Amino acid sequence: MGRVLKKEDYKKFLQLLKSKAELVAPITTDMTRFEVVEDIDDINLEGGNPFFPIKKYFLPNKETLLKIKNGNTKVIEKKPKKRIIFGARLCDINGIAILDKLFLDHKYPDENYKKKRENTIIIGVNCLTSPSEYCFCGSMDLKKEAYDLLLHEREKDYYIDVHTDYGAMLVKHLPEDRFDYPLPKTEKKLDKKNLWPFFADKYWEKDNDLCVSCQRCTILCPTCFCFDMYDRVNPKTGDGERLRKIDSCHSKDFTEVAGGHVFRDTRLKRYRHRVLHKVQFFEDKFDRSMCTGCGRCIEYCHSKIDFVTTINKFIEH
Amino acid sequence: MNSIYQAKRYRITDVVEQTGDNIMLRIKTRLNPKPGEFVEVSIPGIGEAPISSASYNNKVLDLNIRIVGNVTEAISKLKKGDKIHLRGPYGKGYPIDELKGKNLILIAGGCGLAPLRGIIEYIDQHRLDYREIYLFFGFRSPDDVLFKDEIREWEKVYHMNLSVDEAMGENPFNCPVGFVTGILEKAELPVNNTEVLMCGPHVMMEKSIRILENKGFHDNQIWVSFERHMKCTTGKCGHCMINGMYVCIDGPVFRYDEVKGVDE
Repeated sequence: MGRVLKKEDYKKFLQLLKSKAELVAPITTDMTRFEVVEDIDDINLEGGNPFFPIKKYFLPNKETLLKIKNGNTKVIEKKPKKRIIFGARLCDINGIAILDKLFLDHKYPDENYKKKRENTIIIGVNCLTSPSEYCFCGSMDLKKEAYDLLLHEREKDYYIDVHTDYGAMLVKHLPEDRFDYPLPKTEKKLDKKNLWPFFADKYWEKDNDLCVSCQRCTILCPTCFCFDMYDRVNPKTGDGERLRKIDSCHSKDFTEVAGGHVFRDTRLKRYRHRVLHKVQFFEDKFDRSMCTGCGRCIEYCHSKIDFVTTINKFIEH
Repeated sequence: MNSIYQAKRYRITDVVEQTGDNIMLRIKTRLNPKPGEFVEVSIPGIGEAPISSASYNNKVLDLNIRIVGNVTEAISKLKKGDKIHLRGPYGKGYPIDELKGKNLILIAGGCGLAPLRGIIEYIDQHRLDYREIYLFFGFRSPDDVLFKDEIREWEKVYHMNLSVDEAMGENPFNCPVGFVTGILEKAELPVNNTEVLMCGPHVMMEKSIRILENKGFHDNQIWVSFERHMKCTTGKCGHCMINGMYVCIDGPVFRYDEVKGVDE
């Protein structure tokens, strides 16, 4: 079930969103980023896929997990800000569905993530054309999930796909409609295949020669979640916090154990690990790819390393 | 609000100096991890370190701490009566209760003995459930032998094979000098109805497995424990991941046929 928003009512709708909570949306300055909306006229859906994925609102670069006081650790009771994310694309939204699998895991749900998830409304926009030549989501079996509402632009109006009760409440004043919106199509495609036969170093050497381990790919990936945990305290009082910081499997010390041994001791091993985690390991476990085809890891790579082209060239002997 | 990262505070009831770089903490707790499982030990302000349980009982928890990093260094300065933070237990340990009625071969190198000590404590409590118990423990030198008093006790009741790589003139245990794998190679062991549980340096485990395979053991009779730096311990942070497997929740103990030949 969905609703219909007339094009002339689009701004009114954005005003409504802005009145409900902190509104973040793509805003173009030097480049397009998700930022807090001061003026709804600043919102720009035509600026390509924003630089950072919406992951940053759920797994920020750095956050406090526990407070440390008088030699004890204490859980933070503070509620996160109520926030509406407007203008996220299906690649980023699917990324959240993938993060949910780990961070809302039944046995070990991550409270920090869960609280942010509960206090954030996601309103997507469907891509009618690929925002960038690097997009390949059309081959990644994206699902219509993890958003509250999603706008699909039609000739005369927007069809709003309603996915949650909160989303339904936001648009209950609009006329109903039923429409199965099409998923985005992309020219670039990942030729999905079983990659276990291509584990050998020789398949990854060419990409590895170009990689400088800058970790941009993992930072900008909508699903890269690896993190480090460490304590930071005031040396005088001993009080401080236990923090989580986004980490990258591309860093050399990522698999280091006490004593100095590094398990993934070459750049090739680390590069292969990232790619295979995205498109093989995760799929083995959860029956879906961890890559959503946003293309950022290629677009923003210093050397334009393109794992999609690399994999597409693999031929089984 | 709960947090999966929140640790609880416990009292250290004893600190036993083991060797120059190993200490054993005895902590009053009913956490009682199963053999092979581990806890995340921490001092708020310093950090956390994953340490496997070296005991099996619901009164105290023994942790053998090898002093190698900044956290273990700080832990080594703690004294009897001090407090320490623990969360856990985590991971999949040795399936010791599923191995009843079998002969067991335990192979450890260095501080790999710690989790196996938990198994022995379990066996001590359920001795009639198991058949023959063979122990193969290797250390660098007599000074490096962990749980010295217990080893003398175990010698009396189990098939104990202790060895040191180098004796440097003194050999209070009167044990053979050489790698423990050499002792394993010469040992006569029952292959049928036997399971092998091991923990230690990667090289030692690989060598032991080759020797066992030559003796006719199958990979599904062998259980190995992997070392990784688990940080979140809840199958998230990625630090302990090997090709999609999380050592913290899928391991640290694996049946060898499931991880044989894993390259990363």
